[in-house]
Amino acid sequence: MAGTRTMAGKAVSRAARDVAHEGFLTHRNMRWAKISAGLVLFCVLAYALVDQQPRPNGGTVLGYFLGSLGAGLIVWLSLIGVRKRVITRGAYSLKGWTSAHVYLGLSLMVIGTLHAGFQLGWNVHSLAYVLMMIVIISGIYGVVVYARLPAQLSANRNEATQPQMLEAIRTLDRQLDTAAQPLAKAEADLVRLSLEECEIAGGLGARLTGRYPGCGNARARDAVQALVRGQMLVGTPDPGLQQILFLLERKEAALAQARRHIGMKTRLEIWLYLHVPVTIGLLAALTAHILSVFLYW
Amino acid sequence: MSFIVRQIAKRADGSDIVRTRTLTATEISVGRGTDCDIQLADLGIMLRHARLTLMPGGVVALEATGGIPLEIDGKFLNRAELRVADRPAINMASHRLTLVPGDSIGDGPDMVEITAERVIAASDAADAGAETEIFSLKGAMPTRRAMAWVLAAAILLGGLLWPVLMMTGHEEPVPEAMVAVAARPGSTPPDGAMIKTSMQPDIVWSSGALSSAHAGLANSCNACHLEAFEATPDRACVACHKPAVVPAHAAHDRLDLGRPQLAGSGLVAAHVKDGLGLEGGRCASCHKEHEGAAAPANLLEGDGGCAQCHDGLSGRLKDTKLVNAPSWDEHPQFRATLVRAAGAIPKFERLSLEKAPQERSGLIYPHALHLSRTNAVANMLRKQGLPGQNGALGCAYCHQPDSDGVRFKPIEMEANCGACHDLAFARDGEVVRTLPHGKPAQVAGIIRDFYLSQSLSPRAGVSRLSFDRKRPGVVEALGASSPAQARGRADRAIDMIFDKQGLCADCHQTRNTGAANAAARWEVASVSLNDHYLPLALFPHKQHRTYDGKTGEAACLACHDGARTSKVSSDVLLPKLATCQECHGGSEVRTNVAATCDTCHVYHGDSGQPVGAGLPVVAGKPGHGAWSGGGSWRPEPLAKAVAVERSARRGAGLEG
Repeated sequence: MAGTRTMAGKAVSRAARDVAHEGFLTHRNMRWAKISAGLVLFCVLAYALVDQQPRPNGGTVLGYFLGSLGAGLIVWLSLIGVRKRVITRGAYSLKGWTSAHVYLGLSLMVIGTLHAGFQLGWNVHSLAYVLMMIVIISGIYGVVVYARLPAQLSANRNEATQPQMLEAIRTLDRQLDTAAQPLAKAEADLVRLSLEECEIAGGLGARLTGRYPGCGNARARDAVQALVRGQMLVGTPDPGLQQILFLLERKEAALAQARRHIGMKTRLEIWLYLHVPVTIGLLAALTAHILSVFLYW
Repeated sequence: MSFIVRQIAKRADGSDIVRTRTLTATEISVGRGTDCDIQLADLGIMLRHARLTLMPGGVVALEATGGIPLEIDGKFLNRAELRVADRPAINMASHRLTLVPGDSIGDGPDMVEITAERVIAASDAADAGAETEIFSLKGAMPTRRAMAWVLAAAILLGGLLWPVLMMTGHEEPVPEAMVAVAARPGSTPPDGAMIKTSMQPDIVWSSGALSSAHAGLANSCNACHLEAFEATPDRACVACHKPAVVPAHAAHDRLDLGRPQLAGSGLVAAHVKDGLGLEGGRCASCHKEHEGAAAPANLLEGDGGCAQCHDGLSGRLKDTKLVNAPSWDEHPQFRATLVRAAGAIPKFERLSLEKAPQERSGLIYPHALHLSRTNAVANMLRKQGLPGQNGALGCAYCHQPDSDGVRFKPIEMEANCGACHDLAFARDGEVVRTLPHGKPAQVAGIIRDFYLSQSLSPRAGVSRLSFDRKRPGVVEALGASSPAQARGRADRAIDMIFDKQGLCADCHQTRNTGAANAAARWEVASVSLNDHYLPLALFPHKQHRTYDGKTGEAACLACHDGARTSKVSSDVLLPKLATCQECHGGSEVRTNVAATCDTCHVYHGDSGQPVGAGLPVVAGKPGHGAWSGGGSWRPEPLAKAVAVERSARRGAGLEG
């Protein structure tokens, strides 16, 4: 998230303020958590105490209030996309903004549900509600992975940078290529499997599950391993082939590390691919929801 | 005879390294093996891939030696002879060999120059994008921006634009069967009435199911939503629900006056609604839709408070004739609508039962006499074999439930009194001649004609039956010596029928006007029998056929307990409010039967119908004009009769 990067920048330039690092969740002694909790409490109490006839939903006066509050929050929350691109000075730090974004976003779950009066249907109104919940839940996921994954990511990298990880694999590829030059076609084709049919990252499914069933390198390693073992049974194995096997195994290890890294990065990023486009969809659905209510007033 | 070999390799920065060798031989080998003349480090190439032989005439013979065909001009060949002058290109795996005549660079005619280069980049070619592609989701997903645009466009199209286009350019009709049902409220809609028309795009705007009564309108949004941004107006409702069928509770201005001043949250809510264009006092202010498939009566906003207005109503609506009704416990005593003057258009008046009011129906009818088990009435009952109750004329002999069991059929002289009070006046052979009821002038004429005809032309077997119960068995002589004598007898007979001891006076008040003409001499006072004492309320008698463990006659008399002892018809035999409160009431009442306002009252409409049976249907309902107008009773055309009844009741102060 760009927000975190900017925060880090500020932490350096304004060391005096951020002596100890304070994350956006605990910003200012959880000021926004308290404000959101108060807002939720107020809405729940109002919902419980106001007699809404014939049944609670967006069409009562309290429903209009909750709906206006919710719509205002949705618009403000989506403005973080604009806010994070603007470098500002002064009191409204992006960290504070992010803290408010998270906690007010959570309160919207309650406000939106009370506005709907716990009713759902196949209509544009419920579409807005469902999209809102998708956005909020993906946001919660985002907060959780931001809190947990970076440490794991760091441990897995083991001081290696992303380019270094790639370079390690490429170096092994070059070595394999060179080592395979003297081989006959059958063996050379096995090495080509590793060189040409091995995707490091793969599609979304492979990235999320970490499973690469058709990976050329694994297939090549298994086949070469079988060959080497076969040769060992009858005599001394071909040292060239042994060298190839050694390289294939090292490549497998390098791939595994890179793929773990990619898997975590994917989990770290995937929620934004829901959170951001669905937010825009939500703004469209919200427009349709509000306009349609007044069109058929 | 030699080959010039130019092998091109790429540097890391993308520039070329060209190595040129001259091989003096007529035959060279190409392959991955180190022993080949042209060695290509490409695992797709065999150790010994091909052999090139220089032939005379600028031709090179090509042979695939590795078992893999060579690609030349899109064709795969194991063997070929190529003219060098054609500058042929040979593809093998990722490499290409291009042959050109050596003389092109001045090396003599039998030189062939071979350029070998990798044309398909090695898989490990690193570029700036690779890292991002691999390590971020950019490589596996469409961009967030593209997804956002597509999603938003789809939602705006399906959820807003399409319905708006349909809304502005299309009117979905209301199912005809539903309109017909709306004209007959209270009737059960036939199954067909709820068949919706086809689904429309604006269905996506529907915020919930319509009430059970309006389910058939689900696809006819425009039936209620007439104009964009206009809250559902009353004109949409009355298009089907005609005011004659569903009358307003009161005029708008009177409702506004009667409503208490709002305060607190109610005032805030009213201001919010006003600000949003939700004007109060519309049908839709109370009748909520899209609130689920319940019955409309269960989907009201603000249904909790008749007392909101009716508590202290007289203080706000100064000229109201209604008594304040703060609650059931403080409900005012019943004010019965009583006949105060009988006539063609009877005069009604609402009077509280507290003051033991008198009714002036014009009829002489002692209930006690007719309910006795021991008197002449009981004897007559036995003799005639009439249906009775325990040896007496039961209530139900005269008071027969109407078709819906709510009230009673009108009392008719012929049907309810005629068995005993018959109007037979003469025997003519086998025929018993009777007088017409309700037509005094006709009666006088018939009597006069009877006497005159018997005096002029007496017939055997014709005899006068006496009405005079004081002189049983006396047979009057009918023969007369002159028409004048016969006329005198006739006049006396007429006077006897109408006077205080006569036949009519059993039930009616008669008056001698002193006119010389006997046919015009007697007036019979009008009789107007009440058919609805409490027309602002609903009292379904059929739901009260058992009371306090009693049934039948006993149940009737449990409430109408004065009937056994009432000696005059002016007694009002209605039970008072306290009788109802014995069962209907709050927790202190043991039976705990409901006592909400709508147990007895309806909001729309001014005449009683059973609870749950809907509103009254004016047209086509039989039995109106239930009062009898005595001597001058005339059947009225139905609609006129209703109008007259309403106007009479309005005069009595029923409509506040």
